[in-house]
Amino acid sequence: MSESNHEPIISIQGLEMNYGGKQVLKGINLDVYEGQIIGYIGPNGAGKSTTVKIMLGLVKGYSGRVRIFGKDISNGEVEYKARIGYVPEVAEMYDSLTPQEYLTFVGELYGLERRLADHKAQRLMEQFGLEEVYFNRISSLSKGMRQKVLLISSLLHNPDILFLDEPLSGLDANSVMVVKEMLANLAAEGKTIFYSSHIMEVVEKISSRIILLNEGNVVADGSFEQLQEQLHEGTLEEIFTELTGYHEHKDTAARIVSIVKEVQR
Amino acid sequence: MSDFKTLILLDRCKGLFEKAGMDYVQMRRILQVKLTMDGRRASTLIGKTSRSADPEELSNQFMKSLWIYAVMGVVMIPLVVMGHNLIFQMSFVFGILMFMIMTSLISDFSSVLLDVRDHTILGSKPVNVKTINMAKAIHIMIYLFFITGSLTAAPLAGALFRYGILFFLVFVLEICLMDLLIVAITALLYWLVLRFFDGEKLKDIINYVQISLTMVMAVGYQLLARVFNLVDLQIGYEAHWWHVFLFPVWFAAPFEMLFGGHRGEAIIVFSLLSVFLPLLAVWIYVRTIPSFEANLRKLSNQTARKKGRGGQWPDVLGRWICRSREEQVFFRFALGMIRKERDYKLKVYPSLGLSLIVPFIFMFNTFHSGSSWEDIRSGNSYLLLYFCGLVVPSAVMMLQYTSSPKGAWIFDTVPLRDHVPVYKGTLKACIVQLILPIFVVESIVFTLIFGVRILPDLLVILVMTLLYTVISFRLMGLEMPFTEPAQAGTQSGKAGLMLLLFLILGAMAGLHLAFRFSTSGVYVLLAVAFIANITVWKLAFRNL
Repeated sequence: MSESNHEPIISIQGLEMNYGGKQVLKGINLDVYEGQIIGYIGPNGAGKSTTVKIMLGLVKGYSGRVRIFGKDISNGEVEYKARIGYVPEVAEMYDSLTPQEYLTFVGELYGLERRLADHKAQRLMEQFGLEEVYFNRISSLSKGMRQKVLLISSLLHNPDILFLDEPLSGLDANSVMVVKEMLANLAAEGKTIFYSSHIMEVVEKISSRIILLNEGNVVADGSFEQLQEQLHEGTLEEIFTELTGYHEHKDTAARIVSIVKEVQR
Repeated sequence: MSDFKTLILLDRCKGLFEKAGMDYVQMRRILQVKLTMDGRRASTLIGKTSRSADPEELSNQFMKSLWIYAVMGVVMIPLVVMGHNLIFQMSFVFGILMFMIMTSLISDFSSVLLDVRDHTILGSKPVNVKTINMAKAIHIMIYLFFITGSLTAAPLAGALFRYGILFFLVFVLEICLMDLLIVAITALLYWLVLRFFDGEKLKDIINYVQISLTMVMAVGYQLLARVFNLVDLQIGYEAHWWHVFLFPVWFAAPFEMLFGGHRGEAIIVFSLLSVFLPLLAVWIYVRTIPSFEANLRKLSNQTARKKGRGGQWPDVLGRWICRSREEQVFFRFALGMIRKERDYKLKVYPSLGLSLIVPFIFMFNTFHSGSSWEDIRSGNSYLLLYFCGLVVPSAVMMLQYTSSPKGAWIFDTVPLRDHVPVYKGTLKACIVQLILPIFVVESIVFTLIFGVRILPDLLVILVMTLLYTVISFRLMGLEMPFTEPAQAGTQSGKAGLMLLLFLILGAMAGLHLAFRFSTSGVYVLLAVAFIANITVWKLAFRNL
């Protein structure tokens, strides 16, 4: 990794966060460099979404230092967000709007000219096979379609960093291939991609660097091959369960089955 | 997305916003999106949800709903221009205004105040917080301006002609202050609820406000006639200390002070309150905004709930009134749906409340038309109890609708031999949860009024109501319960059938009256109705 000769594009130092008496982040340290595809993984509640939300300024009241594009984000300035694209975990959109209306709106908020945003959105919709629903309400779209609209909304303004929280949820296998390939291409163009997913096979394949979070701490950081070497495990799934200390999956499954069998006929 | 005239007007203040550190272009764009979405939202008053896919055609729904407010405003003209007791008249006017504006703010505009999506969607974009907050404030102001404007247009015009320009200006000023107070109170109310409860509780409260708004609108027409009588009242105003708690009186006080000629200390205090309290409330509200925003997050977070109340009795009751096991299952299921489904409550509870009140309104009318109390007590007015049945058709019809029709696949995938237990269980749940409580409450009140002599008649009415329920069910030809999407015009689509059902209800009451010829007639009718009931309950579920 070419960490020595570049300024990190994202730099997190000693990040801690409390939510109602519970410490969700316990001192995260992280330097991310241009062109990296970072798979940010961990069990539910490990603090993945919280980290991303802090970097976007959606969650305040953290302690520690977060620098993006070399600037501390805690001063309340919002300009840095113009170079970031974001896909939230829950597909929150103004769904009484049509994709056209929503996407041009988002594009304009990012500072694009309306005609350009519209034109770009329409062509991206076409590429994702959604040209037919461009003028339908978002509320009438299927889960996969909504996810694609959300993806488009994060790309319109050609951002330098992409934060993608579960970007593949609801997409079919073909669309997943497209998105995976697209992410690789974007990274090759020098974009930095920071994304989280629960599907370990995908993370394994496309990430140039994997960061595993558990109970608010970074417990693993490196390329897939490096992690394999360190831990002598074959798949990312095995690494994941090893490091998050979850060994009971067989027992739990056995208990579930025994409860299922309780029905009398 | 069309450009709104309001925004073109707003463009004139562009420089002002930019001087205050806001990005006007972004703010305007946010407002445009918000207004577009408003146009596609259904208003509680009209009760219409949008079906059509064409957005442009629907974008003016909100504007259309304003007509109703304008008409209500006309009703207030006599209150303003007639009579010589300004403090009474204006208190009334402000009372109505406050109620209307506050309930419509809560029922139609909560989704705006409580939109959790804003945080994610706007917060992640390069838009500064000032711009977002200002857009929100202006959005609410635009909404209030339209609602208040259409409500007060008529009374304001009336005031202008009757009392002149000065009165008019004071009226406008007081209305603006009232709006401020309403916004601040509503927001503080939400803040309090969110502080101590979770988002679900708040949604429930909003739901009940919507229900009461719909109900008051319906009953309001009945009460209107009485209001005109009140205008002629010539009572001298005497201030009491507890009037401090009646907000409308504050806003009426300046009129009495300036134009009515009474300048008591109380009047002056109230007048001052009407000016300073709204300002104070807004100041407090602005102070709580950060903590309000933090609490808003509760709306999307679920807190664990303790085991619901209700406990054992649905089980016991189900076993008692349902024969088969499947029927019991669906009885309990339907009971839960009726209690929890907010759409169902919103559609049915207003008519439930109405059917609770209507018998008394009619009785009150007979009372007013000269009959003495004794006449009523010994007469046949208890047959008004049949009006309880008014709720039955809509309650039964609404059983087929739900806000989550997609959940209906469960009916197709479970091994059900036939659908009869589904219908039977649901109908019984509807009777137990809605119809019987109303009937019991009314029966107690009626027994208190008419004495125990009507007990046999009450029994007849009960059996008749059950019969009526199952007849309504059969004539409606329902879909599977809780499977159809609740859509526009669901109620009006079957207007003819509703009329027929009301006629049947009337016929039942008539039959009952006819059987009153002798003391034993009631018992004969009871026996007949009972047998009819059993037969019809058996027949009604065939060939579903």
